[in-house]
Amino acid sequence: MSTDLGFWVLQMLNALQLSMLLFLLSVGLTVIFGLMHFVNLAHGSLYAFGAYVAASLSGAFGYWGGFVLAPLAVAALGAVLYFTLIRSMRRAGPMAQVLVTFGLIFVAVDATRLIWGDLPMGSAVPKTFEGQLALLGVQYPIYRLFIIGLGLTVLAALTLVLSRTQIGAMIRAGVDNDQMAACLGINVERMFMSVFVLGCALAGLAGAVAAPVLSVTPDMGLQILIPTLIVIVIGGLGSLKGAVVGSLIFGFVQTFGAVLLPTLNSVLIYALLAAVLVIRPEGLLPAKG
Amino acid sequence: MKTTLKTALAGLAISTAMSSAAFAEDIKVGVLLPYSGVFAALAQDIDDGFTLGLETFGADSGATFQLVREDTEVKPPVGLAKTKKLVLQDEVDVLMGVVSSGVLGAIRDTVDGAKVPLIVANAGNDEATGKDCSPYITRISFSNQQVNRPMGQWMVDQGVKRVFTIAPDYAAGRQMIDAFTTAFTAAGGEVIGQDWPAFQKTQDYGPFLANARASGADAVFVFFAGGEAISFVKQYDSFGMKAAMPLYGSGFLTSSLYVNAQGPAAEGVITALHYVPTLDNPENAALVAAFKAKTGRIPSEYAVQGYDSARALIEAVKSGATDRQTLAAALPKVSFTGPRGELKIDPATNNVIQPIHVYETVAGADGLTQKVLATLPAEADPANGCTMPAAIN
Amino acid sequence: MFRHTPLRLTTLGLMAAGSLIYAIIAGFFGLEILAEIAILAILVIALDLVAGFGGMVSLCHGALMGVGAYAFTVAANEAGMTALPAMVLAIALSAAIAFAIGAVCARSIGIYFIMATLAFGQMGYSFVFQSSLFGGDDGLSGAPRLDLSALGIDLTDSRTFAFYAIALVALAYLVAALTLRSGLGRSLVGLHHNEKRLRALGLTVWRAKATAFAISGAIAGLAGCLAAQHTQYISPGLMSWTVSGEALVVVILGGLGTLVGPILGAILFVVLKHEISSITPYWHAIVGLILIAVVMSRANGVFGFIEARIAARTRTRKPTLKEADADA
Repeated sequence: MSTDLGFWVLQMLNALQLSMLLFLLSVGLTVIFGLMHFVNLAHGSLYAFGAYVAASLSGAFGYWGGFVLAPLAVAALGAVLYFTLIRSMRRAGPMAQVLVTFGLIFVAVDATRLIWGDLPMGSAVPKTFEGQLALLGVQYPIYRLFIIGLGLTVLAALTLVLSRTQIGAMIRAGVDNDQMAACLGINVERMFMSVFVLGCALAGLAGAVAAPVLSVTPDMGLQILIPTLIVIVIGGLGSLKGAVVGSLIFGFVQTFGAVLLPTLNSVLIYALLAAVLVIRPEGLLPAKG
Repeated sequence: MKTTLKTALAGLAISTAMSSAAFAEDIKVGVLLPYSGVFAALAQDIDDGFTLGLETFGADSGATFQLVREDTEVKPPVGLAKTKKLVLQDEVDVLMGVVSSGVLGAIRDTVDGAKVPLIVANAGNDEATGKDCSPYITRISFSNQQVNRPMGQWMVDQGVKRVFTIAPDYAAGRQMIDAFTTAFTAAGGEVIGQDWPAFQKTQDYGPFLANARASGADAVFVFFAGGEAISFVKQYDSFGMKAAMPLYGSGFLTSSLYVNAQGPAAEGVITALHYVPTLDNPENAALVAAFKAKTGRIPSEYAVQGYDSARALIEAVKSGATDRQTLAAALPKVSFTGPRGELKIDPATNNVIQPIHVYETVAGADGLTQKVLATLPAEADPANGCTMPAAIN
Repeated sequence: MFRHTPLRLTTLGLMAAGSLIYAIIAGFFGLEILAEIAILAILVIALDLVAGFGGMVSLCHGALMGVGAYAFTVAANEAGMTALPAMVLAIALSAAIAFAIGAVCARSIGIYFIMATLAFGQMGYSFVFQSSLFGGDDGLSGAPRLDLSALGIDLTDSRTFAFYAIALVALAYLVAALTLRSGLGRSLVGLHHNEKRLRALGLTVWRAKATAFAISGAIAGLAGCLAAQHTQYISPGLMSWTVSGEALVVVILGGLGTLVGPILGAILFVVLKHEISSITPYWHAIVGLILIAVVMSRANGVFGFIEARIAARTRTRKPTLKEADADA
């Protein structure tokens, strides 16, 4: 513990960085749920797939090659999944969806082992983002600042699209009442597909961004799944604001829990989730009242 | 890569020069490794090392070895069920393998009760050769304390007096760090802070790195393995901490199996382990050449553990052992000079006694390599509550 | 409403007879598999009781089983209790904790209920994983087996233990079936279909849900006791959410809300797992594909499929009988 202000600034930045990484991952999942009422447990596997694609392409195309191609590859995979599985499971109820995507996790883990082997892969931070930057009196890794910036950019872009554009209005209409939206002439089917694929691309982006910070292993998708679910359930399923709030709560509780209450750290976040669900069974900011 | 493996019952018979002799012994070996799950890469290395060892040393033993492989999935109940199958149904003469301490804990009583010799080829929990020791369990790999204890004195000798420690919060993490801490403080060093991130749930080590930095320690000593080691080493470097606070640790941190995924971030990290692929001795040169020819990879510490397990088994057979009882009696008496140096088994605990090598990860011609800084003398672990029954025959 | 149709009774009888015969003839590994099936079968009976009939899809049943296993082992090893009172205590504790979880989660439905139970389960898992009292991730060894030597039964023998395990499955099934046929069972099914109506009829909804969850928790605790006695070693892995997920997979493979189907599912799952894992280490992928295929087929698992086919056949036959009557 430290009374030094710089220490707390550093931890604030750490918390923010973790929050933004989780935000990139959870926003796709939550918007898909809000629109389609579909729970995709394999979202973490898409993130892992993105990380693997980015790590294996970084050799040939550099970091930025992976940064661009990984989301595209995951989006393509998402489109395949949509037409083979997701579309027909849309009205099957949460349990069937949970189970189909649970099965997908099994398949995805073994598929990554078959394609990329059991050994973890590494990928490097791009040259421009190596080293640290002096900020608010502390030295902070530039790449982590980039993650924070990227998260905020995606958040701003999504907010803008959802609140100011026609597509955004259509999506909001779909979240409120998809049947009514269809009556109004909105091609709901195409909208569902686009949103699902976009959510997948964001998961792929999160994977590509996380690859240089974390280790790229077959079980990384499973490891990130629970934090992601906690984020969207605390925030309230289906809402962009909820994903932001949930990510920030998770990032800050996790980071400051590690500093202030190290012995309780691993239980803390679950206790918080349980508390939120007891007080507000639909999360803090659910999509619909 | 793994086409040779896996069929549970399809044993692999390794024939030897004398296999046609009328009195050639056939030894049935039950191999218990986690071929699926998070430790699959380790299992692969141990298995490759073990089969290479049988091929290399088996020829003059006068025996044939038949392997029955079982996947423990890193799950203790599965490991136990597979052990019972190997012991009761396949009636193996000897068991080999076990990567995780949890699985070893689960099968310990069954192995001891059935009086089947077990060669532990990885699991390092101190209890297995401490309070839970058994005359039937011989560990050829390492113990958690053994790998870390010598670093305490060595770091003080290098002028490092104040350290901060970080390790995942689980039994092995605690044992590794506690052994170091005890030796380090006994040598006059001071541990000024400790952090224990949640095991397999921590993706971001930033908060702990900030704690370490704020502590003002001379250096940081850590234990991490596998994917967590990669994340930790990279994040340590990204905060620019290597210059101000050198990173030391248990050698699994920068294991040759994982180090290339860490990249330049691992350069300059100093750790200690019972095996380093760049050890300069003829036995190691032979192993590295043969392992590369067989698999295309450099042998890791896991590969050498498998290799030496095969060697130990063959030495026991050469001394006249043929079945469960005689193998159990002979295994703790083996000693030989292998790639790791001179190995013998401590009669008080049945744990291996071996030198520990301090090494620095440095940039080499193709990728990262290991520069051995010191070889610390072999010493036996304290018995820790192990009371080994009198000789079994 | 849960009914014992002729098909269900026949299937139960066949499974009981089959497992008893197998317990007589099986080799050592077969007996291990039989015990493994029995533990899983008890767990999925517990899960089907709440998920299949009450719509409470739980991802904390693995953790509840873990509570039973740990409570049993600690009571027997540390508190020096003999196996039978330790079992009673462990089951009671599992039931109490399940009651609390059920009460707290009673307001959550659908995906929120799944997530809430996931949170409680993981909380327990993390706690045990880090607790030195419970042996941390290395687990605890030395759980005793029930001592029935007074009856001339020696449970240290694998074959006898397999019979004991089958008997416990029967016990679990009996408790679940009786619960479903009681007033509580009817309320549970009613709540699943129309919660508002039952509320209007004056039912205390949270209490009914929590009580059903407690009975389910007690059965899961029994599975835990059996698991601890079988391996005589327990580790936190037992409590991980993936164990609950696997149990849910088995319930679905067998047939949700049929009570008989999940037992069939447990047999199929364990046998399938061992068969496939002896061919390839990538058996998870194959199990995953089978699961996807079963759920996508819209049939209610293997048993639900059989039930539906037989129901369809009787329905097509009935008119012909009527025609025959008319002709006469």
